[in-house]
Amino acid sequence: MLNLYLFQILNGLGLGMIYFLISVGLTIIFGLLNFVNFAHGAFFMLGCYLCYALLAATGQFWLALLAGPLAVAALAWGAEKLLIRRVYHLPHTFHILITVGVALILQESAIMIWGPIGKSIPIPEALQGVVAMGKFAYPKYRLFLIGFSAVIGFLLWLLLERTRFGALVRAGSESTEMVSLLGADIYKLFSLTFALGVGLAGLAGVLSGPIRGAHPFLGPEVLGIAFVVVVIGGMGSFGGALAGGLLIGLVQSLMTTIWPEGASLMIYGAMAAVILWRPYGLFGRA
Amino acid sequence: MNRRSFLKSGLAASSLLAAPSLLRPAMAATPVTIHGLKSMSGAFASYGKFAEMGSKLAVQDFGPVLGAPADYVTIDTEGNPGKAVRKVQEAIQQQGAKFFQGCTLSSTALAVGKEVAKAGGVFMTPAGADEITGTECNAATFRWTVPTYGAIHQTVRPLAKALPDKKKWYTITPQYVFGDALLTAAKDLFKELGIQHVGNSYHSTTEQEFSGYLTNAMAAQPDVLLILNFGGQAANCLRQAANFGLKSQMTVLVAWTAGLDWFQSLGPELLEDVYLGAQYWHQVDTPMNAALVKRVKEVYGITPNYPLAADYISTKVILEAIKQSGSTDGKAVAKAMEGMTYDGPTGKETIRAQDHQVIKDYYLLKGKAKAQMKDPDDYATLVSHGQSFPTGDAILCKMA
Repeated sequence: MLNLYLFQILNGLGLGMIYFLISVGLTIIFGLLNFVNFAHGAFFMLGCYLCYALLAATGQFWLALLAGPLAVAALAWGAEKLLIRRVYHLPHTFHILITVGVALILQESAIMIWGPIGKSIPIPEALQGVVAMGKFAYPKYRLFLIGFSAVIGFLLWLLLERTRFGALVRAGSESTEMVSLLGADIYKLFSLTFALGVGLAGLAGVLSGPIRGAHPFLGPEVLGIAFVVVVIGGMGSFGGALAGGLLIGLVQSLMTTIWPEGASLMIYGAMAAVILWRPYGLFGRA
Repeated sequence: MNRRSFLKSGLAASSLLAAPSLLRPAMAATPVTIHGLKSMSGAFASYGKFAEMGSKLAVQDFGPVLGAPADYVTIDTEGNPGKAVRKVQEAIQQQGAKFFQGCTLSSTALAVGKEVAKAGGVFMTPAGADEITGTECNAATFRWTVPTYGAIHQTVRPLAKALPDKKKWYTITPQYVFGDALLTAAKDLFKELGIQHVGNSYHSTTEQEFSGYLTNAMAAQPDVLLILNFGGQAANCLRQAANFGLKSQMTVLVAWTAGLDWFQSLGPELLEDVYLGAQYWHQVDTPMNAALVKRVKEVYGITPNYPLAADYISTKVILEAIKQSGSTDGKAVAKAMEGMTYDGPTGKETIRAQDHQVIKDYYLLKGKAKAQMKDPDDYATLVSHGQSFPTGDAILCKMA
């Protein structure tokens, strides 16, 4: 029995790292731009489909892992220039309106291009199979996912904490006006951050593809999880996304053994508990 | 010609010119209209598209009914019971609609069935809920789909017989009426067959991450994993079971699959060696099925799948009943359907008068390896087929 719980913890870590990747982009965008991106899930879905399409065309998972997120980021960069930046100064309701619109366009486009039935994405050959642990077995691909997400998390941390770009993003999330007054090109910074945040959603999509398959209606579900993680961790907090993602992953995984029928519900139970205890989230500020 | 006669002849001519549109209904019979309830948009759009193809083809190929070719109109249910009911009410009140066919979702089918019964029409559906021909049956509603009881008996029983050493079974079940109905039927059958039920994981109806439940299953070390969820959830459950290497540790059975379109979305790698329950399979050797497969290939260039076949035959049955009864009166048509035996895609099919349930085969298939597939849709071999339905007191339908 003890082994079962230990294994569920490992499983929860794996899930948590995926949730972290899904939500970190959303939180970075909210932190700097004070912008609520309801199209985040749809960009994730697009990442999944690009993984499928690139794999089908080239057979190269590693190429898909590189090109997929870059393509999603490029699309986001274009959308920001054309559309998104025109509503930054408007209230959040306008952000929601316009990003829900973008999400619908992406979803319907996916149906038009790839059809309404989902697609399966094979696990790359080098990562097929399982690692046996007593009577349990853990997929190699999920182990890779934990490691890869940790590396991405570390690189992101370096980018945000140790580079000039990161310093500007952090300063911008404190006061965009001040950063602008100090001579930084705030619009360029916004575009890049938006592309980075959405690109991370695309990356999460590519990585989740072999686990979940690609499906046109992935967006809303993923968006729900991302919001829970961001609310738990604190809106705009990088560390919060990591802590929130891991917490949700662990809660979900352990609950499937303790109280299976309530496992999905407890994700929201955990969120409610955190909000009661810390209304601005674990790492959030008032 | 004086002015008066000129005017008279002019009037006569113009009234003659206007006449055809006035006269047509009197001269030929009013065409019968079948309203197809299809989820053309929303999360179940993939089913609606195929279902509509089925109904359209059935109407098109049927020929004249009561002296005129039948009409077909699609009502988009949007996969939403509330919207479907409102549109059905509109069709009944504004167009005098009487004959309805379709509904992918059980909740929609149950709600629509009640509306059609109130209006004295006829409704035939392929939806999954047993209540349709069980506790909530009514005089207007007919169902093509084999109930959960039959799905379990025609999958678990033959598999247990084929693999007599595999005595420990584990189940994964969505916690709602459909899942519970499958689970109850499975548990009863386990008892009868001396199978040890080593555990069950319930999950919510929104769950898409199954690693935790699969871990529970691994801990119980079963010989067979019985998956009782449906559609997208079953796809993710099976996909993740394969990822976790469960396919090499135990036999996997998905008792209620959506059939060919679901297989296409998963691909042969995941389906290989998995046992699959199905309401319809295009390779089944019956005269009507052979004709249907040929015709669908001709018209649409695809292989018929479950939603297409189910809605094709249900639509055809309604048309046949109208023809036989020689009437567009809902009650007379329903009467003609009760006890009707016809050539269906699964062979001879009969509509049981007592609960309006179609008595037909259910199939157990086994996923093929990619190398053994003879054509792109040749995903599975037919393992067994047969009919199992609740009888006697187990029929819960009490017609008012």
